[in-house]
Amino acid sequence: MDTKSRKDQPIAAALLSRAHEPDEANRIFTEKIQQRPLFLTPSSPPPADARAARRRAQEKKKQQRKKALKPKPLSATQRRRLGLYDVPRAGQKHALFEPLHRLWLGYVREILGSEVYTGGEGAAAKLASADFHGAGVEVVRSGCVSRVGIKGIVVKDSKFAFEIVTIKDRVKLVPKEGTVFRFEVPVPDLRKGVVEGQAGEGEEKMCNLVFEIHGEQFQFRSADRASRKFRSHFSKKL
Amino acid sequence: MLSFNQPAVYQSSNCYVTYGILPHLDPKQLPSKSKPWTTLTSQDFVHKADLIIPQEMLELVQEKLLGDKLAPTFKRVVISLHDILSGEFFTEYIKKGDVLMLSEGRRGIDNVLSLRGGTLTMFLGKEAYERAGLVGKPHGVKGKRGLKPRWIVEFDLTSPSMFPGKKGFDRLIYASNNAFAEPITWLFCNVSSTTPDPDPLSRHFATNYTANPGLSQGIDAVIPKLSPDVDFIASSGKEDFEDFSTNLYEWLSLVRLQSPRIQVGDKIDPYLSRYQVPDSDTEGKICKISWQGFLAPSWCRQILIGVITALPSKTWFSFSTTTFSKGLAGDNAECTILRPPNSSGEYLMWEVKGHE
Repeated sequence: MDTKSRKDQPIAAALLSRAHEPDEANRIFTEKIQQRPLFLTPSSPPPADARAARRRAQEKKKQQRKKALKPKPLSATQRRRLGLYDVPRAGQKHALFEPLHRLWLGYVREILGSEVYTGGEGAAAKLASADFHGAGVEVVRSGCVSRVGIKGIVVKDSKFAFEIVTIKDRVKLVPKEGTVFRFEVPVPDLRKGVVEGQAGEGEEKMCNLVFEIHGEQFQFRSADRASRKFRSHFSKKL
Repeated sequence: MLSFNQPAVYQSSNCYVTYGILPHLDPKQLPSKSKPWTTLTSQDFVHKADLIIPQEMLELVQEKLLGDKLAPTFKRVVISLHDILSGEFFTEYIKKGDVLMLSEGRRGIDNVLSLRGGTLTMFLGKEAYERAGLVGKPHGVKGKRGLKPRWIVEFDLTSPSMFPGKKGFDRLIYASNNAFAEPITWLFCNVSSTTPDPDPLSRHFATNYTANPGLSQGIDAVIPKLSPDVDFIASSGKEDFEDFSTNLYEWLSLVRLQSPRIQVGDKIDPYLSRYQVPDSDTEGKICKISWQGFLAPSWCRQILIGVITALPSKTWFSFSTTTFSKGLAGDNAECTILRPPNSSGEYLMWEVKGHE
């Protein structure tokens, strides 16, 4: 058996010959290493008898039907091609979204209550979990400088971007990353001693609650944000 | 031609020495395109100017250059960027006139705005740049790479597209309302000779300053050899020329600083200073006239022309200008021109400038 010199012996045979006696090592080497069966497909070898073949075919059919019945979400390519979430050209009008904006203002005044006048932590927590569809927004600071100054009403609040319709009836997609957004909520001014000035008797004096949101920390879908507790994070980029 | 990139690491300032011939000054066509004149006008805002002449020439220079009405004036005013870009100030001073303005601050640290020849240049930090929304170029040795990059934004305000209603100008106005809303302290210098009649600056209560020349005369000094040898220019004499010009520049700087080391009979302990005036065989009286303030480079050019025309062509003089400091390290650019005695229009010019 040892007609081969030590150098020509394959490594596996050399290792086996250390652990087992020579006949044993040889047997293991030929059966389990040299003549190891290589399955080309998981189902090879083909089933031996017809019964096994029928069983296999039936199981395959059952699995395929189960998969077809399960509902799957659309992939990104399918979504883009169907154009389900695009605002149609006829609908890209600022005037169309102004009633939504008024609804949103009412909604924000309702959730904040009297904290509209004081601001602070509680108001910040409520606003962070609020929904922003229909909010009046202005981009105030951005790593990409061409985005600064975009002002309008939020049409879509997705996970990573805001879609904003501007006063000139253009829909702009503004990514949230590296961008700071400013929202303003006008509320009636209840301070005593505020001079009416040129405002008529019927008009109330309005003052604004202004808050800014760092888009970097806000990259969640509005549905996911409702139950999220926001903690302040130190940002390297600011 | 090859364009060299901005250096990526810090480089110290360099001093460039030029030895040339001043052409004869034609009073009708004043020079502006040749070497000493272009260097003078390429400086942006001049802080100090010094003139060193022999004492005997002082009277010749006095009536021409040191009269009261000839002293340069400048103002300090607190005004916001929005007020500069709108109204009378914009049309009178920027579109029609020529002004120099520099805001308070240091370029690597604060937001510095400067206006020169109709171009508004803003050196901004990261936050101001991101809030302004104006497109700029990276500035500084690290460029865009560091954690807090700095930016330069430039606008040519004299161009026809800079009017309210045009997109680019509207973005500038937006930035001036949001990012630069508070008033800034500026130094202001009107370069053109005429002032618009209802002065737009009077609304902002500017403080007027006059840079009166300071005169220190009768300095008994040891004067080194001021004329370079002709064989310095030959290629074999390069190191000699370098030594000669370095020593001469050092002597001129000590005169500007009014150092006692150049005075006759200076007995300082060699442990404290080992400076010796090179080739110290002549002694004489010299005087130094200095101006300090917010000076315009065109004024410096006029002073140099005045000096050349006032003095006889055999006497020597030295004129130096220093700009405001630019970077974090406080480097300024400087230009010193020396006309050696008994020369036929030769001059020696030292130009110190950094890469910024």
